Amino acid sequence: MSEVIIKGLKKVYEGGVTAVHDVNLDIADKEFIVLVGPSGCGKSTTLRMVAGLEDITDGELYIDGKLCNNVEPKDRDIAMVFQSYALYPHMTVYDNMAFALKLKKVPKPEIDKKVREVAEILDITQYLDRKPKALSGGQRQRVAIGRAMVRDPKVFLMDEPLSNLDAKLRNQMRAEIIKLRSRINTTFMYVTHDQTEAMTLGDRIVIMKDGFVNQIGTPGEVFDKPVNLFVAGFIGMPVMNFFDNCKLVLDGGVYYAEIRGARFKLDEFQQKALKQNNQQSCDIVAGIRPQHISVGQGDLEAKIVVNEMMGSEVHLHADSNGDEVVMVIPTVDLKTDVSMGATVKFTTQPKLIQLFDKASGNNLIWYDKASADACAPVCKNYIF
Amino acid sequence: MRRQSMSKALVRRETISGYLFLLPSLIFFVGFVVYPMIMCVYTSFFDATMGKDRQDIFIGLQNYKDLFKDPAFLKALKNTLVIVIVSVPVTCAFSLWVSSAIYKMRGPIRSAFRCIFYLPVVTGSVAVTVVWKWMYNNYYGIFNYVGKGLGLIEKNINWLGDERFALGCIILILLTTSVGQPIVLYVSALGNVDHSLVEASQVDGANDMQVFWRIKWPQIMPTTLYILVITTINSFQCFALIQLLTSGGPNHSTDTIMYYIYYQAFKLYHYGYGNAMGVILAIIIAIFSAVQFKLAKADTSY
Ligand SMILES: Nc1ncnc2c1ncn2[C@@H]1O[C@H](COP(=O)(O)OP(=O)(O)OP(=O)(O)O)[C@@H](O)[C@H]1O
Ligand SMILES: [Mg+2]
Repeated sequence: MSEVIIKGLKKVYEGGVTAVHDVNLDIADKEFIVLVGPSGCGKSTTLRMVAGLEDITDGELYIDGKLCNNVEPKDRDIAMVFQSYALYPHMTVYDNMAFALKLKKVPKPEIDKKVREVAEILDITQYLDRKPKALSGGQRQRVAIGRAMVRDPKVFLMDEPLSNLDAKLRNQMRAEIIKLRSRINTTFMYVTHDQTEAMTLGDRIVIMKDGFVNQIGTPGEVFDKPVNLFVAGFIGMPVMNFFDNCKLVLDGGVYYAEIRGARFKLDEFQQKALKQNNQQSCDIVAGIRPQHISVGQGDLEAKIVVNEMMGSEVHLHADSNGDEVVMVIPTVDLKTDVSMGATVKFTTQPKLIQLFDKASGNNLIWYDKASADACAPVCKNYIF
Repeated sequence: MRRQSMSKALVRRETISGYLFLLPSLIFFVGFVVYPMIMCVYTSFFDATMGKDRQDIFIGLQNYKDLFKDPAFLKALKNTLVIVIVSVPVTCAFSLWVSSAIYKMRGPIRSAFRCIFYLPVVTGSVAVTVVWKWMYNNYYGIFNYVGKGLGLIEKNINWLGDERFALGCIILILLTTSVGQPIVLYVSALGNVDHSLVEASQVDGANDMQVFWRIKWPQIMPTTLYILVITTINSFQCFALIQLLTSGGPNHSTDTIMYYIYYQAFKLYHYGYGNAMGVILAIIIAIFSAVQFKLAKADTSY
């Protein structure tokens, strides 16, 4: 049992910078939580407060049911993998990994067994006698993870552990972390600014911006039900297309989205949710994911500017009367001419349109999550 | 082919200009370090006297043989070793202690402390020594005054004139002038320890003591080594203090090798004899430094 409960966490640095404003988070036992967000949004700060490396300015932190605000890092029973790895340069790999256990006065044979076992899992047995300096980036990475693994901590914290690796190694290590996760049964908090990592690793993702949490949800949820423009724009590759100055129209009890003159009758769950919120006609920003656009027919039109063939799919950058539109079209479905300079018709399914209030940027359907959940079954069939 | 010969010419020109740049300091180095060193070794085999008309006589190792029969030299050797053995560890430990207390303080406070401890280093040693001479004074020195005031001593002590205390008093002054540099070095070394290592060890469960001895101490080992070597050399070469305060007295109780060299060579004009002592001192310092390097290297190899 090691759930982590964070209530109203706030951090003001000495200079007066408020790095974290208000973070609330209930992390279940053995859950893998990923904190993601743009640079400077307070991810590391949050993680470091959980680790005890930064004082908590305000709010409460419970680890395993115990209030930990004023507990020293050494007494929190957490393990942390640092971005810079922070391997002890004067110790061998073996001693690096054994360090925490030695401090705990675990009997020598037991330490030895544990270290060798973990080294075996991480495939670093042959480097045990080396100093960290004599290892490659990927190997150091493994040692850093190994050092945390030998401990069976209550919470496993990782701050951008893969960001120093090249793309290929990163993919490889990401797969390893997924494997590892099934081996070590603890709670994970993982910080990254790479959304691929976030989506593939996390049970739930916490999307932060400027010291606030914007959304907490499963990868599917944050992708399909972004609560605001920021989340919608942050999650998903390529970035969601936004059509500014569109309209939500309530016409005879039915809601329509008007995008550049084209009228889309919204899907049933959208109707229901909007009705429940008693939503009136208003200006909106409409969001459509590149993957949710189909070409060849429809009421919208665009001129292809760039055509990127990616193999199984083609990425189209198009100009639709001044709006820049990105489309991802599976090659197998492609019957239309999409060469550069061609003009294509395109459309999407109404249920896939995200409706953001122009003024607040909040999603008209998903922002108030409680009511949204009541209205609609999760749109499992979208993607993910 | 052409390219290669070109580059050879270039290399040669670069080498020449390189040496030309070195030349001024090379001249000084040869003139004031290398030549005197050779002369020192050379004259130590002579009954050299620096006198104009007298002829130096080659006497082989006689100077060295005499040295070890000279009770004054043996006493100076002993005093020097006492100074080194007391002051080196105390200097290192004290400056490490002070530095670890002040390096985390805010900028101005830290600077103030650094300043205080560095002051005796930059103040001329003559000035420092004169002040200490006052404080040690038999009649109006502050030590006697305070000591009597607190009832610690019954009657005035002639600190520098008493064989029992003189060497200790010298060592005390030596300490105040020698901790400044190590403190400055340690403060910056401690500040440079990668903080993420400290954090990693805290998360690993280390308390403050363990963080210090297991993480920071190994990280500042190169600095410690440097400090050990320079304080050792400084202690061996303790001279100005003695010269100004006691001139080796009373009864040779504060003679150091360095002072005795000066005494023999420039007071008694036993030039060859003094140089033989210089050679011995150099050898001893070299041995000490080598041992320190050896010991510390075992810890620093990463
Ligand atoms: N020690 C500090 N003193 C003052 N301000 C700080 C300190 N550390 C971080 N900050 C500020 O707090 C904010 C959040 O920093 P934090 O390191 O948590 O960001 P992050 O989300 O981890 O970003 P990144 O993805 O770049 O690592 C930033 O604006 C940063 O400038
Ligand atoms: Mg960070």
